[in-house]
Amino acid sequence: MSFLNIDSAKERTFDAIVVGSGISGGWAAKELTGKGLRTLVLERGRDVKHVTDYPTTMMQPWEFQHGGQLTKEYRDANPIASRCYANREDANHFFVKDAEHPYVQEKPFDWIRGYQVGGKSLMWARGTQRWSQYDFEGPARDGFAVEWPIGYADIAPWYSYVEKFAGISGNKDGLPQLPDGEFLPPHEQSCVEKHFTEQMAKHYNGTRPIIIGRCAHLTKPQPIHLQQGRGQCQNRSLCQRGCPYGGYFSSNSSTLPWAAKTGKLTLRPDSVVHSIIFDEKKNKATGVRVIDAHTKEMTEYYAKIIFVNAACLNTNLVLLNSKSNRFPNGLGNDNGLLGKYVAFHNFRTGISAEHDGFQDTTTEGIRPNSSYIPRFRNVFKQETTGPGSRFLRGYAAGFGSSRATDVDTSGMGEDLKNSLMQPKYGNWRVSSHMMGETIPKESNFVALDSSLTDAWGIPQLKISVAYDDNDEKMIRDFHEQMSEMLTVSGFKNIQTHDNPNKAPGLDIHEMGGVRMGKDPKTSLLNKWNQFHTCKNVFVTDGACMTSTSTQNPSLTFMAITARAANHAVEELRKGNL
Amino acid sequence: MQRRSALKSLAVTFGGLVSLPAWASSWTPDSVGPVSLVSFDEETLLGEIVETFIPETSTPGAKSLKVHQFALRMIKDCYGESAQTTLQQGLALTETTAQQAYSKAFAACDAPQRLDVLSRMVASTDPAGKPFVDLAKRLTIQGYTNSEYYLVNVQKFTMAPGFYHGCVPVSKLAVNGTK
Repeated sequence: MSFLNIDSAKERTFDAIVVGSGISGGWAAKELTGKGLRTLVLERGRDVKHVTDYPTTMMQPWEFQHGGQLTKEYRDANPIASRCYANREDANHFFVKDAEHPYVQEKPFDWIRGYQVGGKSLMWARGTQRWSQYDFEGPARDGFAVEWPIGYADIAPWYSYVEKFAGISGNKDGLPQLPDGEFLPPHEQSCVEKHFTEQMAKHYNGTRPIIIGRCAHLTKPQPIHLQQGRGQCQNRSLCQRGCPYGGYFSSNSSTLPWAAKTGKLTLRPDSVVHSIIFDEKKNKATGVRVIDAHTKEMTEYYAKIIFVNAACLNTNLVLLNSKSNRFPNGLGNDNGLLGKYVAFHNFRTGISAEHDGFQDTTTEGIRPNSSYIPRFRNVFKQETTGPGSRFLRGYAAGFGSSRATDVDTSGMGEDLKNSLMQPKYGNWRVSSHMMGETIPKESNFVALDSSLTDAWGIPQLKISVAYDDNDEKMIRDFHEQMSEMLTVSGFKNIQTHDNPNKAPGLDIHEMGGVRMGKDPKTSLLNKWNQFHTCKNVFVTDGACMTSTSTQNPSLTFMAITARAANHAVEELRKGNL
Repeated sequence: MQRRSALKSLAVTFGGLVSLPAWASSWTPDSVGPVSLVSFDEETLLGEIVETFIPETSTPGAKSLKVHQFALRMIKDCYGESAQTTLQQGLALTETTAQQAYSKAFAACDAPQRLDVLSRMVASTDPAGKPFVDLAKRLTIQGYTNSEYYLVNVQKFTMAPGFYHGCVPVSKLAVNGTK
């Protein structure tokens, strides 16, 4: 293969390469540069600098041309991206258009992507609940996928490590199924959320706790956050535009500038990674092939260690495309499992209700968070009788509330205007959405399409992921249990909603394909996120996940990344890589 | 307000994932910009129609807030061709209905007459009647309640409140104050 090399190979050689600058890539960059490694971070999208590249962040709501809505032209051209809840007029520029990176939907899958420096850490939903031992023990206990090679004790100190730096708001609830972390002050529950919490404690003897969500917001910045140049969250809840205060955690506001301050970081936007270079004589990876996003020229970059953090499905794509004589089916793919056992979170369904009490109360201000219902089904053991015995695992749920204002819009003229100018308080309204654990299966997979390529000549990703019967049973149980829980708590007008046509993907929690495990025969990565068969390549984004549990996964990606980076540098210093 | 409610329920639905503030969407005449969708006369007529829905009293009406320009922008950019056809046919029907009922232009009618014209159109068998009135009314309400005037003066909108209190007496707040 020949290359158009402007610079010499030496100038393209680093100690470490990180593929991707999102939430886990940013952490890899921070840890590796912090330990003195000259680190190249490759980002396929454009640069987005903290504050200066958030064009809408200070816009008043009335300054948007279409009242926040997407135009018909955009929606018609981008049916997939348009379905994402956060893709509205104010954040539209952070979402990948459908035509920009096509993929093959063997089964319907809405793949939501953010190709830019910071990736989806700019638009993420910021929920940061820890996993517990019951989550890591799941596959072994319940007999699906493969056993995790790590447990809660392995990751707990790394949760603490990343929580202190990122800044996580939460309450110490003392729950074994949702361990406490290093928390900044929690947000407050509303009157009705507190009521629901109390009723649940009473009716279910403490087995169904409701807590305030834990989230990556600086409710009370500490010196480490001020050193990052970040400040207090201003309760705007306009996070998806990028936050000029650094009030929530993103790569752009936190890890990347921190890495840059070391002087060891080289950040290269517009760099589409084609594949990992594997050297058969050295029996390890030596670098990556990069295609310039605009000129389409290919360049090689070299390093001793490589972290692949391209976001779950793109990490799978890069690794599947990393073919060599040694690995004809993709890097490390001796067992043929690369790309398989992809799973996600089932966000298909929800429920809403009203409470006609608490009429003399309301909320004031804005809360970029909600309450949270930790998983209560099959947590400490698989239930053997009753509804929970019908399915494996379970679901967590968000739970939010607001005091509604009602306006009668039936009239015209002065009647209508009077009604609009004097909105009346209505009932409290609550709503909950299910976050279901899906079971990783071989039949849920991604692969390279045999003929179609993208604009950079890379095979398109073929996605074949669907719900299964376990998911359907869990949806029914969520409807039944939440209806009961709301009923006993005095809620009325309880309405479930489910859209079976809502494809997987919109949860934006896809995981797996390059799973960790103990046995090279049944997994790709070891307990340090190294390929079993190519030890200097690490995968620490969603692709490494053996199972999905129910918690928002980003905090776990951060902790796993920091842990793996620490190990990588230790091994490098010992001469093992 | 239906739109605000929809947004609110969306925000609640997604819970910890996203909390859209109720005023996540709004607009000003400056942000809307000139829209070339209808003739000058038709745009003037639409101004009279939105003013009929929400008239000027001691506070501004929809016309002076240029809600009709917001409506045109939305129909042009966010709605399909059928809505544009509904708009064109509806504007024409408004004039013919006013002529039939009162033998004068819609703009020359007084407020009760204008309300009557719009009510006749809702009841009309003409396929452009009710759909047009519904569309214009919906956009009038959306435009008015998301205008700078309404958000600042009625909703007491604050972009960065810096706090959240989960349980305060309603007596402490004007309805919708600092939400």
